Order: sequence, then C-alpha cells, then structure tokens
Amino acid sequence: MSEMRLPSALHAAPGSGAELLSELGLVLYCGAGIIFIVVVALALHATFAKPSPAGTRAWIVGGGIVFPLLTLFLLLNYTLAVGSAVAALESGTALQLLLDCFGIDAQKRIPPPSPGTMRVHVIGKQWWWEVRYEIVRGDTSTAVLANELHLPVGEPVELLLTTTDVIHSFWVPSLAGKVDMIPGRTNRLILRANTPGLYRGQCAEYCGGQHALMALYVKSQPRREFETWLQRQARSVTRPDDAFLLAGYEAFFKGTCPDCHTVRGTPATGKSGPDLTHVGSRYSLAAGTLRNHVGTMAGWIAGAQDIKPGNAMPDSEIYTGRELRALAAWLGSLE
Amino acid sequence: MPQLVHKPKRKALLIAAGALGLVAFGALSGAIILLSGAYSTAATTQHFKVTHQVLDAGLRLSVRASARHVRAPDLDRPGMLARGVACFRTHCVQCHGAPGVAPIPAARGMLPIASNLTQTAREWPPEWLYYVTRKGVRMTGMPAWEMRIDEDDLWATVSFLTRLPVLTREQYRRLATRAEDLTCRTPTGVPFEGSREYAKVIFRQYACHSCHRIEGVVGPRAHIGPSLLEWSRRKFVAGVLPNDERNLIRFIRDPERVKPGSLMPRLEVTEAHAREMARYLLDEGAR
Amino acid sequence: MSLRALIAAATLVLTARQSSSDVPHRITGDVQRGQQTIVRLECGVCHVIPGIPGARGRVGPSLAAYRRNVYIAGRYPNLPEVLVRFVRDAPSLAPDTAMPSIAMSEREARDIAAYLYSLE
Ligand code: HEC
Ligand code: HEC
Ligand code: HEC
Ligand code: HEC
Ligand SMILES: [Cu+2]
Repeated sequence: MSEMRLPSALHAAPGSGAELLSELGLVLYCGAGIIFIVVVALALHATFAKPSPAGTRAWIVGGGIVFPLLTLFLLLNYTLAVGSAVAALESGTALQLLLDCFGIDAQKRIPPPSPGTMRVHVIGKQWWWEVRYEIVRGDTSTAVLANELHLPVGEPVELLLTTTDVIHSFWVPSLAGKVDMIPGRTNRLILRANTPGLYRGQCAEYCGGQHALMALYVKSQPRREFETWLQRQARSVTRPDDAFLLAGYEAFFKGTCPDCHTVRGTPATGKSGPDLTHVGSRYSLAAGTLRNHVGTMAGWIAGAQDIKPGNAMPDSEIYTGRELRALAAWLGSLE
Repeated sequence: MPQLVHKPKRKALLIAAGALGLVAFGALSGAIILLSGAYSTAATTQHFKVTHQVLDAGLRLSVRASARHVRAPDLDRPGMLARGVACFRTHCVQCHGAPGVAPIPAARGMLPIASNLTQTAREWPPEWLYYVTRKGVRMTGMPAWEMRIDEDDLWATVSFLTRLPVLTREQYRRLATRAEDLTCRTPTGVPFEGSREYAKVIFRQYACHSCHRIEGVVGPRAHIGPSLLEWSRRKFVAGVLPNDERNLIRFIRDPERVKPGSLMPRLEVTEAHAREMARYLLDEGAR
Repeated sequence: MSLRALIAAATLVLTARQSSSDVPHRITGDVQRGQQTIVRLECGVCHVIPGIPGARGRVGPSLAAYRRNVYIAGRYPNLPEVLVRFVRDAPSLAPDTAMPSIAMSEREARDIAAYLYSLE
C-alpha cells in the first residue's frame, strides 16, 4: 500500500486525462487571480486618485467589453480544447487546429478507442463496483472482480460505465474527471496512466446511506505484470487440499454465501454480491472500506452490518469461531 | 403596618436557614466520617445495643408487613418433614446450626450473626419463616432461597423449622441421617416468564454481577468476565459459538463444556433461569 | 482540623486506587505506536477500542479498560507475556476462537499490548 498515490486532482498521474484537467484548473485559478488583483487595484485607484475625466470612455469600452469578451473567448476555447482532448474524440482538422492553438500535443491527448483497445465494464452498485474484463483473442473465460481495476502502463483502456440501481459517478481524481453512471445508459471513459502506481477512486454522486464507503482502487502496472494478473483473474479455483482451508470451503457452502456470490469453479454462482473468485488478491474489502487480511475478512463476514450498516450483505450468524477463521483463511487464499 | 408584615417573614427565613444549616452540618459530618475512614467496617466491632434493637425490630416489622398475604399450606403432609430436613441439612445448618450442632467456622464470625433458629421458630409464625427463607435478609448474610429451593420444598423446610424447638440432639441426628439420600429440589420454572425485572433478580441471585457488568443490574465494576453490556449486538458467545439463545443458554449452564478451560465457573443454573437471562441479554437492543 | 482530615482522606482514596492497579502490567512497548498499529491492522472491525476511531466491532469483546481485566479470553491470567502472544496468535492459545492470527511482528504485538494496558 505504500505505493498509493494521494487521491487528489492536484496530483494527477502523468499521461492521464487528469493531468490536462489540472493544467486547466491551474490556468483558471491563476487567470482569475490576476484579474482579481487588477480589479482591486483599479477600484483602489478609483477611490483614492483625483477624478480626471480623460479616458473614461476608453476604460469602459476596453475594460467592460473588449477585455471580458476576449478573455472569455480564449478561456471557452481552451476549456473546449481540454474537454475534447480528454474525451477521446475522433481526430478532425478543426479539432486538431483547436488543440494545436493551445499547445496540447498528440502525446497528451487521450486517443479514441481503436479495435485493439481493451474494454472493461464497470458497473456501479449500492455500494460497490463490479469490474468485468472483456478478454479478447478468442478467449471465452471472463475475469470478473470488484472494487479494483488494473491497467497496463501507458495504454488507454476503455471503461463502459453502467449501473444496476441508482446514479453513481466514477471518479479517480488522479486519473480522470468524473463520469456519471446512469440507469439505462452506458457512458464511456478512457483511462490511461503513463507511470505505474496505485490510485484511489470514489463514487462522486450521492447514492444512498453508504455512498461514502464506495471507493475503488486502480492499479497501473507494466504490460507483462498486467497480463499475468489478468490471466490469474480469469482462472477458476479448485477445492483446497489443506484440511483447514477445506473447512473454510465447506463453511462457505454451509452458509447463504453462494446465494449472492460467485466463486468460479465451485457450485457458487450467486450474482447479487461481488465475484469472490480471487478476493484474496484485492487491496481492499467492501469497496475500499477495509484493508484485506484475514482479520478484516473474518470481521467483515461476521459483522458486515456493523462495518457498513445497511449494505446488502447480512452478518453471518451460524459459524463457530473456528469455522469463521477457516472461512476467512480460505477466501484469503483465493489470490 | 409594614413592620407587622415584616417580622413573621424574617422569622420564617431564620427557621429555614437554621434547617438548611442543620442539613448541611449533618451532610458535612457524614462526609467527614466517611472520607476520614473513621467508620469501621470490621466484623469484629459490635453494634451499639440500641442499634441492634432498632435493626431487629425493623426486621420483624418489615417481615410482618411483607408476609401479610402469605398463606401457609398444611405443614403436616406425609413426607414433608423428611424433605424439609434434607433442605435444612444441605442449605441451612452451615450457618444456623441445629440442636447440638454448631455452625461451621465461617458462619461463626459473621456480623450480624446467623440467629439460632430454634428460638426464632418458637416465636415466629410459619408465614414469616417462609417469607424470610424465600426472600433472604438484605445487608446480612441471609441469602434468598427462591432460586435454589422450589416452592414445595420451601414449605417443607418451614415445616421442619417449626419442629426444631422440640428436637433433642439424638432426634435431630436420626432425622438428618435418614434424610441423607434425599435431595432438596430446585425450581424448574420461573414465576414470571419474560419479565425483565425478574430477570435482573435472577442475575443477582446467581452472582453473575460479581464478575460481569450487566445492563440494569447494580454491582461492582467487575472485570473478571467480559462486560455483558450491549450484549445483543455481540456476534459470538465467549469467542467460540454464534450468539443465539440456544448457545447462550448452553454456555451459561456449562461454560467448561462449551469452551474447555473457561474460567467462568459452573453455577448450577436451571434451564428456565438460563433462558430468562439469555432472553434478557439478547433483548437489550429491542427496548 | 476537619478540613485537613478531609483533604488527607481524599488524597488517600485517590492514590490508593492508582498504585494498586499498576502492579502486573509492566511491558516494554510504545503506547503511541501501539495505537497506530491497531488503527493500521483494523482490530476495530471486531472490537470496541477506546481511542481508536471507528473501532466499534462486536465480534469480540470490548477492550475498554483492558488494564483492569483479570483474564485474557476467559482462559488465561492477564499477564503481559500472555497478552503479547494472544494478540499475535490467538488460535495458538485458543484453538476454537474466532479471533484469527493476524500477521505482525513481536514488537508490534508489544506496542499493541502497551496500548491496551494504557486503557483504564
Ligand atoms: C444477500 C446477499 C449476500 C450474502 C448472503 C452474502 N454476501 Fe457477501 N457480499 C454481498 C454484497 C452485496 C457485498 C458487497 C457489499 C459492499 O461492499 O457494499 C458483499 C461483499 C462480500 C465480501 C467483500 C468482497 C470484496 O471484494 O470487497 C466478502 C469477502 C463476502 N461478501 C463474503 C461473504 C461470505 C463468506 C458470505 C457467507 C457467509 C457472504 N458474503 C454472504 C452480498 C452477500
Ligand atoms: C450464609 C449463612 C446462612 C445460610 C446458609 C442461611 N442463613 Fe438464615 N440467616 C443468616 C443470617 C446472617 C441471618 C440474619 C440474622 C439477623 O437478621 O440478624 C439469617 C436469618 C434467618 C432467619 C430469620 C431469623 C431471625 O431470627 O432473624 C430465618 C428464618 C432463616 N435465616 C432461615 C434460614 C433457612 C431456612 C436457611 C436454609 C434454607 C438459611 N436461613 C440459611 C445466615 C444464613
Ligand atoms: C466467577 C466469575 C463469574 C461469574 C459468577 C459468572 N461469570 Fe460469566 N464469565 C466469567 C468469565 C471469566 C468469562 C470468560 C470466559 C470465557 O470466555 O470462556 C465469562 C463469560 C461469560 C459470557 C460470555 C462473554 C463473552 O464475551 O462472550 C457470558 C454470556 C456470561 N459469562 C454470562 C454469565 C452469567 C449469565 C452469569 C450468571 C449466571 C455469569 N456469567 C457468572 C466469569 C464469571
Ligand atoms: C475476526 C474478528 C477479530 C479481529 C479482527 C480481532 N479480534 Fe481480538 N478477539 C476476537 C474474538 C472473537 C475474541 C474473543 C476470543 C475468545 O474469548 O476466545 C477476541 C479477543 C481478543 C482479546 C482478549 C479479550 C478479552 O476479553 O480477554 C484481545 C486483547 C484482542 N482480541 C485483541 C485484538 C487485537 C489487538 C486485534 C488486532 C490485531 C484483534 N483482537 C483483532 C475477534 C477478533
Ligand atoms: Cu455514491
């Protein structure tokens, strides 16, 4: 976790849309600051200097009409340019001209998706995120996980953002602006990070009682590492051999867990909760609420309603102490 | 005119001030005695004679009032005496002694001392004996027996108490020997099912509050066992079993069997009492 | 005179309480670091722990006033060395317990124990 970047729009990752947005922010803040200082200076001048009728008209026309028009025109176009640069639009002559005017070079632009661009579905749920990788190259297996997204460094990845309940908003401040997830619609967002790192995101649209505990992690990692990770996520699991882990496996099926959770390779095919096939590999549990280790795992299973009141997962109420530990150990072993 | 109105007012004020002063003086002296530690809590110091007489009279008057509605059943039914003897020799003789039998050493040093019941039985009606045996006497070593002796055997005990004054040493010995195989019965049910007030009595009668903190039960701030405050929200019983009524009853009745090595002792809790306590604990949140 | 007696009595009452609860809990650990470790390991998902933000779990018992607890997990006397071991590896002392063995160093366990003993 030490590699975690500050979840802040002011600490944008190089090569990300957030970088352009933070530059835009900087220009707006500095520009507004300069204008403010000039206006205050003029106001002071008007108050304390001797009145002189000379040049009044020029001030009114210059300061009241020409200056605002010019400034607003430039800013509007700059904003449009940044907006299009991060929106992954198809290139056109006009757009290119606009970008060139403001010195936004092709490197910085978020490119439009090409047939080879990897696509990931991110589905907002109260109060967690389902993540489904579309695996290309004829592979039929799927990699489904929750509350965590991995990207190969420097490559754009297209996110298809949807929701199965209410409006959520996908926001990873260091990587891109907010994009709402709206019932009945699919919104798109292209993410790219040019350096490896771990970024935290947060739902940015109030979506109910535990909205504040709906976070996620995005990890950008070298291509090779990413592929290994993705292949591992696509794999299914087998019954454990170790007696203690087997006790945990059996505890899982003794409870109602399979009604809501899928563990690929086992009879558990529930759909309403996160896919747990590789839950042990995640940075967090319950959408960024807890770190992931055997203690938090056991605590979550026994007391999900104390930790995140009102969430869709009930407290388990049937396990002995040893069963709970075994169950947590088994889930933790699913890396 | 104004003078006339004024004078009684001032008098009233003076009286009020005097009364307040007296109260304050009393409270202050009480506080000084308490804080200085001058009041002895040693069991070797004796009460003043008058204190003793007042307390004794207080006990009699209180018992008389409380036992007003008690009606004694027929105390001469067959078998009753024998069971009464059984209860007396398991539960009472240790403190109160019997004809020709001394109280055990621990009971000889108590203040107030457990009375010799041969005299009490001569002077008190059976209803009073029943009431005191059932409810105990607070601030003395006399326990309440209603949780440990069932209704029939409480009366059997009283039946035996009424014979005490007429027994010789030899007669008592023979009765006691004959009752050796009989056991004094514990109650199987509870008089008020589901009553939170009665559940609090049960906790106290099993000394749970000597080791635990329990909602609504006044006791020492004990840290022997875990606090049972807000119990209904707890997920596990003793860290090993899911927290539901069945498991809670099991643990309360026999901790060692649920959790080998547990330092909570077995308190011979009846099933019915354990259920009342478990419901009380698990219901807390519902109030 | 009475005032002096009163003050003397009051101080006596206060000091007597402190010194008596001090005896068995000497431990070489850092209270502040212990607090941070408890926050980092999120023991609060299972325990109510005073001084730890959000620690309101009910899976295990409350750890409030831990210094005054007589027993550990209802099985062992509350001695520093036992506590250090229990915090680090509860199942080794209580095979049937729900408290898992959470990875931490010996020093971290000592710090945690020191923090728990700071809870009056
Ligand atoms: C009624 C449906 C339901 C049942 C039954 C259920 N869960 Fe869940 N579970 C969920 C939901 C929904 C979430 C996501 C909660 C959130 O983060 O808001 C979840 C989250 C989890 C997570 C965290 C996953 C992650 O990646 O963050 C774990 C682990 C888990 N459940 C394990 C279990 C186990 C073990 C059981 C059986 C004892 C169980 N669940 C029973 C619905 C359920
Ligand atoms: C732990 C010691 C102890 C035990 C056991 C005990 N008693 Fe007592 N008993 C006392 C003490 C102390 C008193 C109070 C004397 C006083 O009020 O000054 C008392 C008072 C009484 C009185 C009122 C007598 C009086 O003159 O004040 C009766 C009746 C009585 N006990 C009956 C019983 C019976 C019946 C049993 C057995 C079921 C029993 N006691 C068991 C200690 C005990
Ligand atoms: C002599 C002290 C003592 C008495 C008296 C006592 N207990 Fe306990 N109790 C303990 C100890 C010590 C533990 C911890 C044991 C364990 O975890 O195995 C405990 C544990 C418990 C627990 C489980 C606590 C937890 O955190 O999971 C319950 C419930 C309980 N006692 C109820 C009762 C009830 C009800 C009574 C009265 C009938 C009672 N106890 C009387 C010492 C006592
Ligand atoms: C999965 C839930 C869980 C987690 C996480 C957890 N505990 Fe516990 N803990 C328990 C349970 C359950 C018990 C009761 C154990 C028993 O009595 O067998 C317990 C008991 C204890 C006790 C003894 C309590 C007593 O009354 O004697 C201490 C101390 C303790 N835990 C400290 C910690 C610390 C420190 C952490 C974090 C490193 C932690 N626990 C994490 C569940 C947990
Ligand atoms: Cu939200």
